[in-house]
Amino acid sequence: MSKKWHTALKGRHTIAACSVLILFFFAVAIFAPWIAPHDPVKVDLAHKLDGPSAQHWLGTDHLGRDNLSRLIYGARVSLGFAFVIFLSSLVLGILIGALSGYVGGWLDNLIMRVCEGIMAFPNLVLVLGIVGIFGPGLMQVLLALLMVQWVYYARICRNMVISLKERPFIAAARVSGSSSWQIIRRHIIPNVQRPIVVIATLEMGWAIMDISALSFLGLGIQPPNAEWGAMIHEGTSHIRSHPELMIYPGILILIVVITFNIVGEALSERYGVAKR
Amino acid sequence: MLQVQEVGYGYGHRSWWRSRSESDFVLKRVSFELESACCLGLLGTSGAGKSTLGRVVLGLQKPHQGQVLFEGRDLYAAGGRLRKTLRREVQVVFQDCHSSVNPLMTADQIIGEPLRNYERLSARELKRRTGELLEQVGLSIDDGSKRPDQFSGGQLQRINIARAIALRPKLIVLDEPVSSLDRMHQSLILDLLAELKASLGVSYLFITHDIQAAMTLCDRVAVMDRGEIVHLTDSPDSLRDSGQTAVRDLIEAVLPEHPADRLTLF
Repeated sequence: MSKKWHTALKGRHTIAACSVLILFFFAVAIFAPWIAPHDPVKVDLAHKLDGPSAQHWLGTDHLGRDNLSRLIYGARVSLGFAFVIFLSSLVLGILIGALSGYVGGWLDNLIMRVCEGIMAFPNLVLVLGIVGIFGPGLMQVLLALLMVQWVYYARICRNMVISLKERPFIAAARVSGSSSWQIIRRHIIPNVQRPIVVIATLEMGWAIMDISALSFLGLGIQPPNAEWGAMIHEGTSHIRSHPELMIYPGILILIVVITFNIVGEALSERYGVAKR
Repeated sequence: MLQVQEVGYGYGHRSWWRSRSESDFVLKRVSFELESACCLGLLGTSGAGKSTLGRVVLGLQKPHQGQVLFEGRDLYAAGGRLRKTLRREVQVVFQDCHSSVNPLMTADQIIGEPLRNYERLSARELKRRTGELLEQVGLSIDDGSKRPDQFSGGQLQRINIARAIALRPKLIVLDEPVSSLDRMHQSLILDLLAELKASLGVSYLFITHDIQAAMTLCDRVAVMDRGEIVHLTDSPDSLRDSGQTAVRDLIEAVLPEHPADRLTLF
């Protein structure tokens, strides 16, 4: 990428625009039942594979379901679950990482060896394995991703805590009578929070990709419910006659992931946070 | 008030094939006593074990040998509540004023932390007390809402001192409290410490390598060298007569106003 493009992408306006876009997607996801023009799972075989019309702006799929409505409802699953995974793995990672770094000793060793064990596998393979054990379904995918994602936050958090722990203000807090839990809550977590949240913004895009990928493979959301990855999968059977069935959700995934990545990159650059 | 008895401390890991031997200790059977309302200067070069001794006295590092008695009670044998009450009486000011404060907290929160830990105060009462403390150390009440990056080094050290005196402790360990400041602020902070000592009747364990600073503040002086107290005297002025090389080195290290005046300072 040329220098000009590079700086343009880190600019204030770009971040603002991307943030607005993210908020817009979330708003669409939240208000889906009011925005969507049709029921996303209502089958209407008389109008299957219709082109764009006044009634169906983006046409219908192979079962005559409204594409626009399915995309809007799909945002709920993709964004909503990505957000849940993001938040829960963040909280879990920070807590376990803070504990590991703060307590140290054998507990730290144990937790870090577990983390390394999980990190040794490619994420998707591990998630596939976990889903294979518990069976397909959104909840299982959610749990599987959570089990994989917290590791990264935990490791970053643990390393930051270890360097924080040696700072005199922690010793001063101890001398002034704070308990370990109070020190973690008042001094450690606030000081690791911001950099980790910035890193997590970068991960949000990946979480959306992971969910879509798993749904594409038929492991995530189950038909007839709409989800972007699942919609791409359904579109594959009509790739020659109606490629737009795959293109619409594909474009949406692309836009959302890129937007999150731009914001994450820009934030991490601004706050000088090292990536994992 | 404070009795340190035969304290030994060593760093590094002890493992099953190698037990910690006394020769690795950075503190070797150190003993001294400190009365109330007295300032004991702990002098020595880097690595002499001064700060380690300070941390042992503060209750941060359990000594591998010996005992630390505060008003007759063992600091490390005490558990739970008693330990917390004992700890209240011993506070600290560290050398590095910038990293001694949480960068995300306001001055009020920093000074208020010990108060919140020991006393149940309403928000207003807490604000009043921290305001009083700020004024006591020469800052203004309005500084309470500022964060550490808005203060200079000297001001930050005043905040650290305010936090140390918040609980009205009987002993404050001053671990090189002026070493990170410039000459002018050094003397201002030393004046403040002398003033607080007179008004609060607090004892100091003043850890420093600066023999001049020790002379201005201390009633008694102990010189440490390689983990041992080699010289302990009630009159700091008698230091120059000591035959100890460690003491001589410290005196010689003082920078004179003119190079030709070296060694004739005392």
